Amino acid sequence: MYETAGEKILRGRLNLWKLNPKGEREFLGGQEDWKVAAKAAENCPAFMEDVEEELVADLLRSCYNCRNRRWTNLSFVCCRPK
Amino acid sequence: MQVLVCIDDTDNLESRGTGELASILAQVIEEQGWGKSFGVTRHQLLVHEDIPYTSHNSSMCFVAELKEDYLNRLIQFASDFLVHESAEGSDPGLCVLIPEKLSQREKLIMFGRKAKEVVLTKQDAYDLAKHMGIHLSEHGGTGQGVIGALAGVALRLSGTDGRFKGKLKIKSDAKIISVGEILSQTNVDAVKSLDGMVLKEDDLVELGDTLKAILMEGKCVLPVTAIETSESEGVRWQTCTKQQVRKF
Repeated sequence: MYETAGEKILRGRLNLWKLNPKGEREFLGGQEDWKVAAKAAENCPAFMEDVEEELVADLLRSCYNCRNRRWTNLSFVCCRPK
Repeated sequence: MQVLVCIDDTDNLESRGTGELASILAQVIEEQGWGKSFGVTRHQLLVHEDIPYTSHNSSMCFVAELKEDYLNRLIQFASDFLVHESAEGSDPGLCVLIPEKLSQREKLIMFGRKAKEVVLTKQDAYDLAKHMGIHLSEHGGTGQGVIGALAGVALRLSGTDGRFKGKLKIKSDAKIISVGEILSQTNVDAVKSLDGMVLKEDDLVELGDTLKAILMEGKCVLPVTAIETSESEGVRWQTCTKQQVRKF
């Protein structure tokens, strides 16, 4: 059966992140992979809810709603403290 | 007289958001008796690696109806406020526009739209503000926030850009409410479908968990989408989710 990249990520068969040329962790799901962004935030100890006006995902605990995400043209990079 | 006040680039990852500072400024205007202020709107600007934004590159703007004598006091207060309240490492900018004194409205709006598409410089912003007699000032760091501050007033002036800060509070026993009731309980001017259809006062809307208004054609609009198959008879509309409102 055909499996999308999002499904592969959810099943742990694909990495969620890549290192961009600046050495930052960039999310591979883009800006509208709501399920995977929620999954990525599920157990993240650095998740920090952003201010109300910057929340974009309906499920609150999502990388898309995290103060440590920095939007890029196509996705976001995770700026959580190392 | 009406003024548009916009601030940008005041925060860092740990601080209060720019929206909160804008809300405080709007509140001070009322508390000090300088005038009346209206909703704060968030305006998305270009996300680009050459732009040093904190995490989202948005600016926050509000409208105030000000007694003319207080204009300079407002600008002075807002300037001091940004110096003291902006976060470490931020590059705050302030813009105050008096729409009735503006002669080239479309040119300013074009700047706002450009700031969503291309990288602009501080010089671009200062040149245009000076040419148009608009107050534009920087209050720390590199002062890069002046670009977003000018773009923010331009986009607010355009009447169709951004979403309002905060969630609408609507009381309803069931989750179903008429458009008329929404209009009477809130500052919303109209309830519209995403394709621009204005709902009638007796249309029924199913309320979602988060109620966000957007700025559309100069009005505060609650966006809704059609319900494919409704469980409640006569209910054809539901409020948009955060995810649906994101594009505004």
